[in-house]
Amino acid sequence: MNTVDYSQELSVIEGKPSLRSLDELISKPLDTKPDKKFYIALSITLSMLALFVIGLGFTFFYGIGTWGNNNPVGWGFGIVNFVFWVGIGHAGTLISAILFLFRQKWRTGIARFAEGMTIFAVMTAAIFPLIHTGRPWLAGYLFPYPNQHSIWPNFTSPLLWDVFAVSTYFTVSLIFWYVGLIPDLATLRERTSNKIKKIIYSIFSLGWRFSNRHWQHYEMVYLILAGFATPLVLSVHTIVSFDFAVSIIPGWHTTIFPPYFVAGAVFSGFAMVQNVLIFIRKIFNYEHIITIDTLEKMNKIILVTGSLVGYAYGMEFFIAWYSGIQAEQFTFINRAFGPYAWAYWIMVTCNVVSPQLFWFKKIRRSVPVMFIIGVFVNIGMWFERFVIVVTSISRDFLPSSWGYFKPTIVDFMILIGSFGFFFTWILLFTKALPVVSIAEVKAVVDGSQPSHHND
Amino acid sequence: MSKEISGKLNSEKENEKPIHETDEFLSSVTAEFDLSKLSKVSRRKFFALLSASTAFAATACSNYRDKGEIVPYNKRPEEILPGVADYYASTCSGCTNSCGILVKTREGRPIKIDGNPDHPINKGKICAKGQASILNLYDPERLKEPLINGKKVSWDKINDEIYNDLLSATKNSKKIGIVTHTITSPTTKKLLDDFKNKFPIVEIISYELVNDNPRRNAWFKCYGTYEYPAIKWEEAEVILALDSDFLGNENNFIENTIRFTSKRNVIEKLKYNRLYAAESRMTVTGMMADYRLKVSPHQQLEFVMALINEMIKESSSFFIDNQLKDKIKKYSFDRLNFINKEKLNYLIDDLKKHRGKSVVYAGNTLSEDVHIAVNLLNEILSNNSLYDYSNAYKVLVKNSDKDDILNFIDSLKKGEFEVVIHFDSNPAFHFPKDYDYSEALKNVKTVVTLTESKNETSQLSKYVLPINNQLESWGDAYVRYGVYSLMQPVIAPIFNTRQKEAILLTWINENKYDEKIYHNYLKKNFENEIYQKIKPSADFDSFWYSSLHDGVVQLNENYTLPKFNLNSLNEIKEPARTNGYTLHLTESYFIGDGRFANNGWLQELPHPVTKITWDNYASISQNTASKLNIEMNDLVDIELSNRKVTLPALIQPGMTDDTIHIELGYGRKVIGEAGKDAGFNAINLMTKENSLSPYIFTNASIKKAEGKYILASTQEHHSLGDKFVKDFHRIRKIIQEGTIIKYEKEPDFLHKEKHELFSITREHKFEGVKWAMAIDLNKCTACNACVASCNVENNVPVVGKDQVLLGREMQWIRIDRYYSGTDDEPIVSNQPMLCQHCDNAPCENVCPVNATNHSPDGLNQMVYNRCVGTRYCSNNCPYKVRRFNFYNFRDHFANSYYENDLTSLVYNPEVTVRSRGVMEKCTFCIQRIMEARSNAIKDGRELKGSDVVTACQQACPSNAIVFGDMNDPNSEISKLRKHNLAYHVLEELNVKPNVTYIAKLRNIHSEEIE
Repeated sequence: MNTVDYSQELSVIEGKPSLRSLDELISKPLDTKPDKKFYIALSITLSMLALFVIGLGFTFFYGIGTWGNNNPVGWGFGIVNFVFWVGIGHAGTLISAILFLFRQKWRTGIARFAEGMTIFAVMTAAIFPLIHTGRPWLAGYLFPYPNQHSIWPNFTSPLLWDVFAVSTYFTVSLIFWYVGLIPDLATLRERTSNKIKKIIYSIFSLGWRFSNRHWQHYEMVYLILAGFATPLVLSVHTIVSFDFAVSIIPGWHTTIFPPYFVAGAVFSGFAMVQNVLIFIRKIFNYEHIITIDTLEKMNKIILVTGSLVGYAYGMEFFIAWYSGIQAEQFTFINRAFGPYAWAYWIMVTCNVVSPQLFWFKKIRRSVPVMFIIGVFVNIGMWFERFVIVVTSISRDFLPSSWGYFKPTIVDFMILIGSFGFFFTWILLFTKALPVVSIAEVKAVVDGSQPSHHND
Repeated sequence: MSKEISGKLNSEKENEKPIHETDEFLSSVTAEFDLSKLSKVSRRKFFALLSASTAFAATACSNYRDKGEIVPYNKRPEEILPGVADYYASTCSGCTNSCGILVKTREGRPIKIDGNPDHPINKGKICAKGQASILNLYDPERLKEPLINGKKVSWDKINDEIYNDLLSATKNSKKIGIVTHTITSPTTKKLLDDFKNKFPIVEIISYELVNDNPRRNAWFKCYGTYEYPAIKWEEAEVILALDSDFLGNENNFIENTIRFTSKRNVIEKLKYNRLYAAESRMTVTGMMADYRLKVSPHQQLEFVMALINEMIKESSSFFIDNQLKDKIKKYSFDRLNFINKEKLNYLIDDLKKHRGKSVVYAGNTLSEDVHIAVNLLNEILSNNSLYDYSNAYKVLVKNSDKDDILNFIDSLKKGEFEVVIHFDSNPAFHFPKDYDYSEALKNVKTVVTLTESKNETSQLSKYVLPINNQLESWGDAYVRYGVYSLMQPVIAPIFNTRQKEAILLTWINENKYDEKIYHNYLKKNFENEIYQKIKPSADFDSFWYSSLHDGVVQLNENYTLPKFNLNSLNEIKEPARTNGYTLHLTESYFIGDGRFANNGWLQELPHPVTKITWDNYASISQNTASKLNIEMNDLVDIELSNRKVTLPALIQPGMTDDTIHIELGYGRKVIGEAGKDAGFNAINLMTKENSLSPYIFTNASIKKAEGKYILASTQEHHSLGDKFVKDFHRIRKIIQEGTIIKYEKEPDFLHKEKHELFSITREHKFEGVKWAMAIDLNKCTACNACVASCNVENNVPVVGKDQVLLGREMQWIRIDRYYSGTDDEPIVSNQPMLCQHCDNAPCENVCPVNATNHSPDGLNQMVYNRCVGTRYCSNNCPYKVRRFNFYNFRDHFANSYYENDLTSLVYNPEVTVRSRGVMEKCTFCIQRIMEARSNAIKDGRELKGSDVVTACQQACPSNAIVFGDMNDPNSEISKLRKHNLAYHVLEELNVKPNVTYIAKLRNIHSEEIE
């Protein structure tokens, strides 16, 4: 039987790869021409993106009427997708900022990629508030700018808070990501012999010379940014949850929403990171950098957040019952047994039941099984947003105005298209920038740090 | 030649001279400046031309388009002030009631129809049909030119041809037929008489798809006259309606509603009648009923006779001989298996107790026998004191009976007719199939149709003559005793159309036509008939103009009270026992006999009971549906002998079992874009064979057919047995009701359990005028007049069936209908729902761009320009009264059907036409508030709450809606808000709505409703 020496911190990188080999391995996708598989993948995502464009074309030309939204259900797939993608964007900052502050070294292998994903997910998400409006060409009204009418946006509206929260989050994530990239860009600059690449890398590496002073400043900036990004991880989804919590609709007007939404966001974000990384580590031979141990740790977080989400589902029911308000109680009974029961039970199965399998170590470490569970979690989380958004307003206070939301083909085009948009960026990212932080990985390779007595 | 040479030589010679000595310089100078050779254009002229051509070039290059003629008034007509509306009194021709209307015009175009307040019958109110009928004037598919065989021709040509045919018919001693609807106009009657004088063998058929013939015939048999009285509903303590929708669409239901609801008063003094409805289908009247008894249509006679039997057991002043008594004694309630015995006993008791103070009223579709029996019952109960003879229903020309029509068609088939003129009627659609009218027409040489837009009959006609809309026509109506009303044009004919009467008059006048031909005829007839009769002190012209101004002339007429003829009872036949299903056909609430089928506003009005739009259907009870395994929207085959109609089924709570109810008027085949594919033609089930009544058939069969047909309803349908969603409106206190007994015992019962609502923020103080509305649910009958009026006033678009199916109807006010009780004995509650203009409006704080906000006078405002369309406000509205423009609906509905130069004339210029992507909702008619405010400022006085009347309030026949300034302690509204029965919907949300509902009381024998 293997015994584990708990006095020693386990290495997060398997083997003892030489620093040069890490350079080469990580920058290899950037040095080689894309292969056939890449083009096949890209053509798939671009086709999906084309659906997005066509769907949007219909929407802009004819109006929101091309979607399934109706009178009680003012928000349908548009807002569901928005919340879903903002949620996906949560893992990145959590991994790079919070885990950084907690000195979780295993994050080094996955942080860069997760951050990239955050950027792309937030970009995807940011499309939806714009396109779901009836008159997107007037979306500028949402920004506070001085104008002749002396009209400001309504600062009491959660939708306006959303605008600020999401744009702040995007800006900070982007800067954080870019700062982390600087040493790597410098490494690439040194390595490349292509003139054009050299110019680009030179510009973006901001004159990085690997000097001690540079590293000192860099570490400080990174720490400050991590500190800055940490509250944002919590705030963004808190504010997104306010879209619902601040309203007066049963099923939306719930104080548990902020923590519940943050937990759900981390949950789905980790599942998405885990899913995509499984491919990345296989295709690019990063199995020793993004180890099974790392994946297992992610699965543990999925298990924890999944359970939190499950608790929240239960608590919602309890509070609804405890409130003694019939409309509130009915909303939840209706979720579970009403016309949208199918969506509710998909959600519960995927979000609450499936991650519980991660209690088993075997499952936590089995790549195919964890992949499937990850997919389930994302399906479940999409449905969670669907259940919250649609079922609550489809049957609210006055039974006379109840209605049933049925998505249209355009709704599906835009949903599928949003995945196309997201994955197109991911694919381009893998061939344009190092998906693993070279500098950070080097720092956590065994023996890379000075130590006493060789311990 | 020689001259030229010599000249040349000369000049050569001259050249030799020194230059200063030659006159070459001079000559050339003079030559150049020779004034006669110079251009005649002066310097000034040149500049003028230069500037003109520059200006011309500049304008030619600019993007100038001819945007049509804009000609200012050189001499402004006295009555037209741009921006200020004019009102003209006229008469509605939408049905035979001929209500007085007041037409609002702006800059010469009619934009709204309301009731004429001076009219003694409809008293300023008009039904939904009347309200929305303004769209017919601007129907894009109105006929614009006369047609011969579908080809456009001139009036002269078509008149020549028809006139020749009329002459040749006369010469050949062939008959001329005129088929018309009920004649309501004395002048039209005279015109037809003149026509008869001119062309001797004229036969006139007048008909109505659903008519009051059984009532009139019964009245004739009982009292010897066809002219039956109105009812003093306001004096009746107990009312029994036998399958009669007197509040919904029978006779003058607007008058009935006004009179009936005046005795549903809880505001000052409790004044409440008790309404029993004995019916099988659910009607508007049935929804209002305190007790609803279920009686199948074929059992009505038995029911009435059994009631008579019950009544004659007691002594009565009314004498009935023993022979008749024996006949009556055969009837009992035993076979009326659907009736709730407890309710029946209450009814019998009430009728006995309220002799002389009750009314029994039978529906138009019931047979003559039932009407005779009802007349007898009213006599026995001395209820004839409630007959209102002063405004009795008049008969100008009695409608043709079925036999007359069948004989007419027979003669058509025999070729006795050479000309048939359809005088604004559509018999090809309205006559049952087995009348074979379309076939019969083939034997007629000249078929002429006078119509506003194409229909089933014009399709079969060689000559189609386009006629004026009612708003382009002169006319009069005399349908009620003592009430003569005038119709005047409020707009010149928009197209090359002529008034239908003028067309006949042209033929009478040997094809001489001028624009005033009928105007003068009418005036002449008015002078002879009315002016001479009244003999007022004023001269004729003044009298004529003042009558036109008022729209109505009241005459003193006497009506002799007729005596009841007991022999009429002899004819009553004992009803046949039936097995199988009973089929009941009635007229549609909103599209009438089909004439309004191309009116999108009316098609889209939700049915008052079922909330279905754009279609008709077969209503059956839950039990019948379960027995036959039929679900909502399943197609069913309804068969009667060999006649069959396939249409979707609707499960109607409160229907009697084994009964099928279908509305007529739908299923028009030759019609415009809006009305096409709307519903199914149930006239195909009617027949010339004798049946219980023309609208009631026994031995029908129903079976499930293949497939489904989805009906577009504005409210979800749930079975009342469905515990999951049962009685939510009561649990959530959306509907709060009580009973008379409870209210008398504890008037504040509604507010006993109320707890204090407090706010954690500082409340905004509203000073000055603050607008609020109160709706008295005791009075609301769900007639939908308010909805139609709001549509017209506020430019609400038609969205079409597909969008209603998706839940995207745009009406700003809706009538919510809730069922409680059971599928067998449902209790119906209606509630008009519109923007509540909450003080703490939840829509306002969530709008990110401030597009919806609060005005200082308490209005929840919607700023269309600012709206980006997030729909957050609608989501957060607990009343779900906000409406989103998912499309540009004017463009989206039926290929931009209503987006054309003609239809856009119907828009109220004071109300923005909303584009796509914008949220909208009730504004409390802010345009009317602003108008009242500017008038107040102009007059230098304070704005008063009573200055403003909202469109819904104006239309409401029962005056259930009150609007005004709640900060004025003397206003009606502020009193209503403090009333014991006042409540707010969803009060516990503390959104502080400004629409107050007055809880409905039910006049039943217990304290609790169920």
